[in-house]
Amino acid sequence: MSDQLFKNGAELINTNVSRRAFMAGSVGTVLAFVLESSMPGSVANAAGAGTKISGYLTINPDNTVTVAFGGAEMGQGIMTGLAQCVAEELMVDWSQVKTESAPWAQSYITGGSFGVRANFVAMRTAGAQAREMLISAAATSMGVPASSCTASAGVITNTLNSQTRTFTSVAADAALLTPPASPALTPKANWRIIGTRANRTDIRGKVDGSAIFGLDVQVPGMVYAAVRHSPAIGGTLAATPKLPAGATHVINLGNAVAVVASHSWIPLDYCAIGISSTSSTWRDGIKWTAPAGAAAMTTAAILSTGNTLMASGTPGSPLAENIGTAAANYTAAPKKFEGTYQVPFLPHVMMEVPNCTVSLSTNSAEVWAPTQAAGWVASTVAALTGIPTANVTVHITLLGAGLGRKIEQDFIAEAVKVAKIVGKPVKLFWPREEDLSQDQYRPFGLIRVRLGMDASGTPTAFQARNVSVSPLFQRGWIGATGNDNVDGLVDSPYNIPNKLVEFVRHPSTIPVGFWRSVGESMNCFALESAIDEAALIAGQDPVAFRRTLLAGKTRELGVLNAAATMIGWDAGAPAGHAYGIALASGFGSLACLALEVSQPAAGSLTIHRACMAVDPGMAVNPTQVEAQMQGGIIQGLTSALWGKTTFANGKASSKNFNNVRLLKMSESPAIQVQIIESGIQYLGGIGEVGVPPVAPALANAYARLNGTRVRTLPFF
Amino acid sequence: MTVMTINVNGVARTVDVDPATPLLWVLRDVLGLTGTKYGCGIEICNACNVWIDGSAEKACHLLMKDVLTVKIVTVEGLATNGVLSKIQQAFIDEQTPQCGFCQSGVLMRAAKLVNGNAKPTDAQIDAAMANICACGTYPRIRAAIKRATGQAPVV
Repeated sequence: MSDQLFKNGAELINTNVSRRAFMAGSVGTVLAFVLESSMPGSVANAAGAGTKISGYLTINPDNTVTVAFGGAEMGQGIMTGLAQCVAEELMVDWSQVKTESAPWAQSYITGGSFGVRANFVAMRTAGAQAREMLISAAATSMGVPASSCTASAGVITNTLNSQTRTFTSVAADAALLTPPASPALTPKANWRIIGTRANRTDIRGKVDGSAIFGLDVQVPGMVYAAVRHSPAIGGTLAATPKLPAGATHVINLGNAVAVVASHSWIPLDYCAIGISSTSSTWRDGIKWTAPAGAAAMTTAAILSTGNTLMASGTPGSPLAENIGTAAANYTAAPKKFEGTYQVPFLPHVMMEVPNCTVSLSTNSAEVWAPTQAAGWVASTVAALTGIPTANVTVHITLLGAGLGRKIEQDFIAEAVKVAKIVGKPVKLFWPREEDLSQDQYRPFGLIRVRLGMDASGTPTAFQARNVSVSPLFQRGWIGATGNDNVDGLVDSPYNIPNKLVEFVRHPSTIPVGFWRSVGESMNCFALESAIDEAALIAGQDPVAFRRTLLAGKTRELGVLNAAATMIGWDAGAPAGHAYGIALASGFGSLACLALEVSQPAAGSLTIHRACMAVDPGMAVNPTQVEAQMQGGIIQGLTSALWGKTTFANGKASSKNFNNVRLLKMSESPAIQVQIIESGIQYLGGIGEVGVPPVAPALANAYARLNGTRVRTLPFF
Repeated sequence: MTVMTINVNGVARTVDVDPATPLLWVLRDVLGLTGTKYGCGIEICNACNVWIDGSAEKACHLLMKDVLTVKIVTVEGLATNGVLSKIQQAFIDEQTPQCGFCQSGVLMRAAKLVNGNAKPTDAQIDAAMANICACGTYPRIRAAIKRATGQAPVV
């Protein structure tokens, strides 16, 4: 093996065919490469040290290529987008490209909308290196200089005499060469695949039933386990229950009971039914010991604590943002707005419940999991078994959505513990009721926004205080005075000379985690609602008000004006309807959403149209950018209208789709997406930015419809 | 445990399970037909839809003992000798699935709709497509149904 580290972080390593053949049973020539870290500078990434290989490229015997990548395909199209980058430089046609998940990738965590933007150069470089090595090997084979050879559609042609070599025929020789340090990258003007509507590589299996999600994994000798956790978060099983009929094991996991059988139904039936009970006993008289401090894990108490902290809590240090003299300026301002917004704990709601399949041997382990953090999975196995991480193989299956939930290790650890006891391969899964009642929720939060304006209504001071539960603190990634949950408040694009953003940590022990768009999911609601409310005080149109605040911000104005034009803002809404607009800036991209709503009956809303303008710098695949915007709007509407989990003495309200409502097709608006490409230098993420503007656009439309301002989510 | 035979995708399959086991888990765990999904287990999300004598039904609550004399079709049975049905191809052409987990159930309902209705209207599509898709692929499901029935694409 040779290894050459490039300044962009890509590394191409020669390997032989044996490892690849072992991994998937097909013979080909493997070129492995290392990618840039998924979340540069993040706490999460620092914990993911380990292996060096994040992906590899296989030249197959039929002259197709397989791009394998150690990230999580959870619907966002990461495999397709990154394979487009490789294929562009490799000089193969898109029809020759397949993708698969790399079996282990301990350095890669899929999150933060980083997948494509962070690896964009690395993947192209890897493809270009492979291309030059293949050309070099072909040139040697033909006895001509490499400079006389070109590659196209997986075939290398000697331009001197039209002699050809397929990639397959020279791949073994190419793999012995040293990767070139500075391969030439194809200029944008010549791109054939990047920027096109290339079909996703994972669709066929998703329409014929052959796609394998974590829940679909089957390995020889496997048994099935389901779990039931203490209804009150943090409670414990008072005693191990008796063995249910038809089950082989009942296992006390401390905060949960696991039931094992030869198929899923008996464990599921045992663990899911009875969840509606509010008593401390449950099926077969099982008793749970209530957690300490259960009373504090009650929504009203959490809100009360939040209100106290809003009034008198100590902000994190240093202040999240402190520009100018915001407090003094606000106090002296002739026109003012103050509003406090409230967002609930919010479940992730993935269609595929948490699950993990584990096979343990004496000193090795194999895991199949729908995980966003394969490296952490290996560490979890190691910590629970003593098996070194180097001996842990993690197969990343397709994810039936991840949304930030499948970065967590709780369900992985349970599967490992049960596999140790059972002594057979185990697939452990959570009933839907466990998924929704034992989530690591988007934090509850209160966000107070103050805007001070001059006599003409132009904002001169912006103050925001976010009081919320901290995922980073709960994981020990920040200290007691650290900041969290301020994305979407800090670095706002609005030109306001004085800015103060504070975070006050709420001490609730309700488990919180990373929910698609994280801090933006709460703060964009507050900020963009407040901007509309301030515009009203200033006597200005909300779009015109934003234009003033965004003077000189070409990209922000671009999406704002595009969304306003699409919805027909200046012409006004039809009678009985109203428009609302909101802007999100995050994950390296900009998204502005305009909605048209009406309220034919109390207690509901009809969303007629959604017009989204998004600027990701450049669309690597416009179809996937549109799909993420469509999906983000629909998820955002679901959350804004109905999304919440409340708690009573640690017991979650959300259980199943009978009390967690999701938008259906008949309720979805007509969606129009306009992509604005302001330059490759701004390449941003697209998986999350579509969600944050939805709730404020809805609240702003609702206020314009009937004069009622909704500051507390959800609407209903 | 009882030995029983059911007709799945035109093939007689013999299994030995408790007759009160829901069909969903027999398909998935015993027969290895994992295309049919568990989403909620309480007959709401429609991820587990299969056809029972041509009607889209929820496999999470159909008991084995009640499906012994019917013809069962799962998502694996929509294609013919590896050739995708028109609605499956339309889902590819419209790039409909995202995570894809709910799509088997979506396809069973969409295929049922287009098989029985040459030109479904938007209202008919809304009424037929009761599936929950958390990714929000609804616009592309609608577009695929329209494409499969030769109707103009929607915005």
